[in-house]
Amino acid sequence: MEETIKVGDYIIVQRQNYTKLHKLKGHGTILLGSFNIEMDNCIGERYFDTFQIKNVPNSKRNYTLEKIENLSLVSSNLNVEESGNDNRNIEADDNNQTMSSEEINKMKDEELSSNNIVEKLISNSKTFSTKTGFSQEKYIKKKSKKYCEYIQIRRPSIRLMAQMFYRQDPAKILGIRIDDLSQILTYSNIQSEGTHVLYDSGTSGLMSAALMETIGPNTTGKLIHMHPGNECQKVAFLAMEYPEEQRKRCINVNLYSVLRQFYQGNPGEGDSIEPNEQSSNAENQVTEEPDAKRRKVERPNWQVDNEEACELLKKGVHSIVITAKEHPVNIVDALEPFLLPSRNLVVFSTFKEPLEELYFHLKTKLNYLAVKLSTNFMRNYQVLPERTHPEVNMTNGGYLLTGIKIEQ
Amino acid sequence: MSFNGYKDLIVEGESVILYLTINQFYILEAKTTTLSKKGVVVQNIFQTPYGSLACGDLIGKKYGTKIQLKKGWAYILQPTPEFWTELLPHRTQIIYTPDISMILLCLELKPTSIVIESGTGSGSLSHAIIRKIKPSGHLYTFDFHETRVDIARNEFKEHGLSQYVTVQTRDVCTDGFGKDLEGKADSVFLDLPQPWLAATFTSQVFKRGGGRLCSFSPCVEQVQKMCSALTNLGYQEIQTMEVLQSQFAIQKKKMSILNLDMLKTSNNKETVKNEKEFSNFITSVAPNTLPGHTGYLTLLLFHQHM
Repeated sequence: MEETIKVGDYIIVQRQNYTKLHKLKGHGTILLGSFNIEMDNCIGERYFDTFQIKNVPNSKRNYTLEKIENLSLVSSNLNVEESGNDNRNIEADDNNQTMSSEEINKMKDEELSSNNIVEKLISNSKTFSTKTGFSQEKYIKKKSKKYCEYIQIRRPSIRLMAQMFYRQDPAKILGIRIDDLSQILTYSNIQSEGTHVLYDSGTSGLMSAALMETIGPNTTGKLIHMHPGNECQKVAFLAMEYPEEQRKRCINVNLYSVLRQFYQGNPGEGDSIEPNEQSSNAENQVTEEPDAKRRKVERPNWQVDNEEACELLKKGVHSIVITAKEHPVNIVDALEPFLLPSRNLVVFSTFKEPLEELYFHLKTKLNYLAVKLSTNFMRNYQVLPERTHPEVNMTNGGYLLTGIKIEQ
Repeated sequence: MSFNGYKDLIVEGESVILYLTINQFYILEAKTTTLSKKGVVVQNIFQTPYGSLACGDLIGKKYGTKIQLKKGWAYILQPTPEFWTELLPHRTQIIYTPDISMILLCLELKPTSIVIESGTGSGSLSHAIIRKIKPSGHLYTFDFHETRVDIARNEFKEHGLSQYVTVQTRDVCTDGFGKDLEGKADSVFLDLPQPWLAATFTSQVFKRGGGRLCSFSPCVEQVQKMCSALTNLGYQEIQTMEVLQSQFAIQKKKMSILNLDMLKTSNNKETVKNEKEFSNFITSVAPNTLPGHTGYLTLLLFHQHM
């Protein structure tokens, strides 16, 4: 992978623990918290480089980037001279900090330097010197984080994006936490070969990106990515910037359209297609008026994709993954006939109840064994000398139903 | 051979999963004959609770189909790393699928990755790593226990995975990972009692630009020691976590509904007695006891500009 940051790249901008996905344009800006940052100065630099957010002179809340060559400057180098033994003399009081928020904001607008701001905050704090050493460290860390003026540019990865989407808004990825994603990938037994089916009703492209990464570059594996809408969501997929041969092996098709094609054959050969699909593929259909000869030969892209998907479905598929907002039973009924025997089905849901119904459906109506419903407990730890403990906040994951198809 | 890719039919010598019930499944070899404990060639018969099975009969059968046993039937399935984790002969404490899944994702493995693992242990994680990195990646796995190394190497061979893995006897805590691997790896995984001893050798093995490391330790003290060692070595983005899975038993339940309203009036005594009401519902019950701790996963990034 090339190391240089270029215009057109998808990048992950990281400020402390906060990350944001961004497509780099020439003369573009990114909004990070309250900062509006011009990104041009990172173009041509390398991934992993650290940049300082610098005020643009004579403008309010406009910032630009400056590359940091000496990383040792980044770490906080505040000296603490005095600390207390415990908190017996500290009272909670709004007046402990004598600097007003206006004064702090003014400092921010003049020159963003977390070191200077934190130093000022400390010298204007009545209680800082009586805090314990640990407590002072925590204070400095918290404040430096708030006024941090450094960002790092990263290349997107499945791990970074899964964590980023979940932190920003779990609903963006149907509540799929990183442990859920990791287990979908193992329990589906997906690997670099075979044909795989994904039905995904909206994870910002994370699921198709993750499955295509597992299939990998220059392999024989293929993914039929079925989606319910006009266009599939694909931000995360595009962000991975897979080579063209790998991108092409992910066939994006509308769920309704591909199933109709499979059971009823080509549209236009008698049947008319439904308005939903017409609008969905309007972009492809309203191309320039080709002459009559060419029109017959050239079919819209979506139809070519449908045909390719149907050919693969006829041969049978090696895994089915469903990450759906909709009730899973009908989706499973529609897709599972394509699953080959001894191959795995994995269904994720934010809710347990639909999967309970699916469990009995698989056990009584269909041929599946080793059907299991599971959920995870996951937590992160703060690891510091003498201060190791679970992190204060934790999150909830979703539910996974897995099973193996058998031939009756 | 049956761990390498998707197979339709059982070929002679392949490992096969024989599945009876959710708690009764076995791995056996589709071979007509086998060696007895005394080293004599005998017919390969597998005893199941539903009667015996001549393993040679499985050759040519289709994976995912039903086979008849004397007192019932069973299904034959192609093995997966997940089945192997459940069935492998334990030579050490092993890593289970929830942790394995997280390790694979957080090490950012793909079908081109070069991975270093130590120790090999019982090969539970190794099988899952290989599935993820084949066909173009490679796993270098080390253990200081010679017999374990031999058994693991043999298993990889029987499972058709030899081309993707190199197994070596080596104490990485004292000897490092060897000159040949310098600058080669994308990811490193350590499951060692004193991982900080091996940590000092890790920074040399990464490709130009760096890579990712994961350390698995059951105890908090190990994690603390490891984290400070790695911070001193220049590792970044330390993240420590644990993942525990619980599986539900899904049940249809019936609860009787008591009619207590009729007590308020004196009539209708008989009709009420006959009409017993029930509520039917589906529920999932978490097990009474479940794994409460496996180990802590510590994940880090090693980065250096070229």
